[in-house]
Amino acid sequence: MELSRRTLIAGGFAAMLGGTVAGCSSSMDAGTTKKNASGNIALWCWPGGLGKSVLDDTIAHFPDQHIKYSEVGGDFKQKLLTTFNGGTSIPDITGIKGEDIASMLPQANRFVDLKTIGADSILGDYLDWKVKQATTLDGKVLGIPIDIGPTALFYREDVFTAGGLPGDPAKVAEQMKTWDDFLAAGVELKKSNPKAFIVADAADLYGTIVNQGTARYIDKDNKFIGDQDHIRKAWDTAVKAITLKVDGKTLGGSPDWNAGLDKGTVPTVTGAAWVALDIKAACKTSVGKWRVAPTPSGPANFGGSFLAVTKNAADPAAAFEVIKYMLSADNEAKAFADAQIFPATPAAYDKPQLKAADPFFGGQVPIEVFGPAAKNIPIAYEAPLDSAVATPFTDELKLVQAGKKSSDAAWSSAVQKAKQIGKRQGVQ
Amino acid sequence: MTLTATAPTRPASTAKPQRRRGILSYWRFYLALSPFYLLFVVFGLYPVASTILLAFQKWDGLGPRKMVGLQNFRFLIEDSTFWLSLWNTVVLFVMSTAPTLVIAMTLAVMLHSAVRFKGIYRIAYFIPNITSLVAAAIFFAAVFSTNFGLINAGLRSLGLPTEDWLRQPWGIKIAISTMIVWQWAGYNTIIYLAGLQAIPTEQYEAAKVDGAGPFRTFFSITLPQLRPVVLFTVIMSTIGGLQTFTEPQVMVGNNGGTGQSGMTVVMYFYNQAFFNNDYGYAGAIALSIFMLVLLFTAINWKLLGGRGRQ
Amino acid sequence: MTVKWRGVLMHALLAIAGVLCLFPFYWTLVMATNTTSDIYRFPPKFTFGSQFDDNVHAVLRNVAFFQSMGNTAIVAVSTTALVLFFDSLAAFTFAKFRFPGRNALFVILLATMLLPAQLGAVPQFQTMAAFGWVGSLKALIIPAAANAFGIFWLRQYFQNSIHDELVEAATLDGCGFLGIYRHVALPSARPALAFLGIFTFVGSWNDYFWPLIVLTNPDHLTLQVALSSLNRSHGVDYSMVMTGALMAMIPLIVIFTIFARQFIKGATEGAIRG
Repeated sequence: MELSRRTLIAGGFAAMLGGTVAGCSSSMDAGTTKKNASGNIALWCWPGGLGKSVLDDTIAHFPDQHIKYSEVGGDFKQKLLTTFNGGTSIPDITGIKGEDIASMLPQANRFVDLKTIGADSILGDYLDWKVKQATTLDGKVLGIPIDIGPTALFYREDVFTAGGLPGDPAKVAEQMKTWDDFLAAGVELKKSNPKAFIVADAADLYGTIVNQGTARYIDKDNKFIGDQDHIRKAWDTAVKAITLKVDGKTLGGSPDWNAGLDKGTVPTVTGAAWVALDIKAACKTSVGKWRVAPTPSGPANFGGSFLAVTKNAADPAAAFEVIKYMLSADNEAKAFADAQIFPATPAAYDKPQLKAADPFFGGQVPIEVFGPAAKNIPIAYEAPLDSAVATPFTDELKLVQAGKKSSDAAWSSAVQKAKQIGKRQGVQ
Repeated sequence: MTLTATAPTRPASTAKPQRRRGILSYWRFYLALSPFYLLFVVFGLYPVASTILLAFQKWDGLGPRKMVGLQNFRFLIEDSTFWLSLWNTVVLFVMSTAPTLVIAMTLAVMLHSAVRFKGIYRIAYFIPNITSLVAAAIFFAAVFSTNFGLINAGLRSLGLPTEDWLRQPWGIKIAISTMIVWQWAGYNTIIYLAGLQAIPTEQYEAAKVDGAGPFRTFFSITLPQLRPVVLFTVIMSTIGGLQTFTEPQVMVGNNGGTGQSGMTVVMYFYNQAFFNNDYGYAGAIALSIFMLVLLFTAINWKLLGGRGRQ
Repeated sequence: MTVKWRGVLMHALLAIAGVLCLFPFYWTLVMATNTTSDIYRFPPKFTFGSQFDDNVHAVLRNVAFFQSMGNTAIVAVSTTALVLFFDSLAAFTFAKFRFPGRNALFVILLATMLLPAQLGAVPQFQTMAAFGWVGSLKALIIPAAANAFGIFWLRQYFQNSIHDELVEAATLDGCGFLGIYRHVALPSARPALAFLGIFTFVGSWNDYFWPLIVLTNPDHLTLQVALSSLNRSHGVDYSMVMTGALMAMIPLIVIFTIFARQFIKGATEGAIRG
């Protein structure tokens, strides 16, 4: 309330009368891109997006390029788009988050097609499905993968064994092959430990299951397919978790979630490799009690980002050299050691940094779970509007979670809302 | 130095000679006023006017703009999320403004008659208003959290059932409005207190002679006398309340939490513009927010203004 | 109920309200001096811990705190100075002089208060882009340099606190427009200016929505934007976030307590005498 009261210069009745002024709008034209000053390379990423030692090493490795790194907090995509619109201080190289890449593809003319500056020679080093995410339908490659987010099931070995479930990762994998098995184990666990919910948040579970599929909400012909069986199945599994009462309804990242991880009330997290960092930050007393097992019903991918060269780059070739160096298999392995940034280059999986046993996971070697997962990620087409259309499904599911709506009522209203959002933007 | 020779705002007497002088002779006054209007035209009028123009266009923020007539408004009418966000905004406004003003009035009346520690209370009550919204939102999100929040800890120690505050549609609204009440009750207390101090004491003495009790005195003397102050606080709360944005955004995220029950109409505008890059649609929402503020201000004026001022 | 008991009850209620107002500060202090896991246990911890130094170091490691604070101070101080000057000049003109179009201009001024500032954010951003101000602190200072609320507020004050005779006398003494403003208006408006000054300063210090959009250059962040990035990076450390919030608040609290008396006096005067 305060800000509005302060910035009162905004407008008023007069605005209604003065509509004529609006005729001259200053829409920036992508065709007239201004080049940045040469001699420097401005590099943007978000906090924790790049490995610290890799970054320092890269800057030192290219002394002539004067790499200037900026860590941009807040909403990264919005900052980037507004900066593009603003037309000044646009970076030469920028990170693009995995969840934003689909919606950035229509902005392809803001970026250099890396194929035109020699990307072909290195694209084969990266996981094919990941490169596809940054490839437009007409074949332009906008970014080189920094990392990927293969999922796994993180769980508390102590809570599992105390609740009559297996504790050993191999046995957990054996018993929890599918989500149905997993939920059944949850019912078992709750019998002896009523405070432990095997599903942290059914709305998250829903998102994971959708990510496990080979189709999403909108197909390549720009048709809405979110009302079909593949989505409904994910929905029904999430609802099953709710009706079996094994859903903890704990929002990921909330104070309850952070506290619950350490206390054992959130005994599992289904998440990407980088979630390990969040878990480690939250846990002080349960160090060594966590384990990693394959995701029930198969791997999925959450996030994993890219580095791209903007059209404003003074010297795109030099910028590409920097990216190439920074994201080599060796350096991606180093970034993993820095901050659990999981490599997108399969060659890195054999490096010592990834082979290391992790005391936080009781001496387990996480790559043994993540490595195979990374290579088996299902490929699904993600339309630019995908995340906008997905929102109503999660929102409505939360109402089922809160006991405010039946599953069927929530489903039909989610479908209807999603269709409407799509229709507004031209989805069939 | 030249005399401006313009008489102060005295009615009538000096008005005549001024009539003959050219409008240019008032240049000092226009110059003194110009900074505000200049800034307003550039940073207020122009942006808002082009937002309104956007309402009739389709634009993704980067490409060319396309006129689409009333299409955005047709979508708006069918858009249940838009209506929900309007409803949320009004409900949140009522849930936060009513307690804020009632609490503020109660505190002000008590503070007015209390003699000791008045200064300390006034400072304490004002402190929430200088807190940053971001910090306060983090605090309240923690207070209302399910397992480790203070509210549930309190309920549990009293043997009452706990609640998933931030996962329930009404819980979210309660948490958000609690925070708004906390931040603004003190501010309004101070303003009411000032109003109370301006009421002549003779009126109270007369009421006492008539044998009126404290409640009757309040309703027959205090409240009518405070009318302009109440109008001021109600209008300011309306303008602020209908624009609620940061509190829910920081507390329950951009989508407004479960059932989007924390999604206000300004948040919806923000999402359409900056997340979906649907600037035309956002413009249509903006226009409707403006109409809403206008409507509510008019209602307030009618209800409370009456013959109040002038 | 006797008068004495009524007094006791009243003070009890007032004190409870005061405690509720101040409690979040106390709790912020508790969080800032403990670790996150100390806080999230049941029953929660209510005493100060010894982690304050560690938390402060963590904040300083994660954000350019002092640089952001410097930026915030530049913005808040210059905005406040400009607002006080422009607003008081305009308010005084409205309050004490007559000129053609005065009423119309004043109505427009009031009307501008009705529209949410956020609505113009998109084109306003483009205006900034056209001026080349995106990412610079100018984008925060210039648009906020004068505002309708302040003019409205001060006008009420001038109208009531300065007698017309005083302005007439000054005119007869040979004072020009600026002279009257300086020698008559400013001295008598000190409490109202103190209120507006602090209100503007606090608002500018805590502003979040607009800086978040317009400050794209990571070297030019304000405190609130920097703090919000603390809250969003991996694995939220709440103790650290609250420490950051507390550090950001300290200058405001200091300024507020220094000016509190003047400030509250000012806050109380404009509103009533409509």
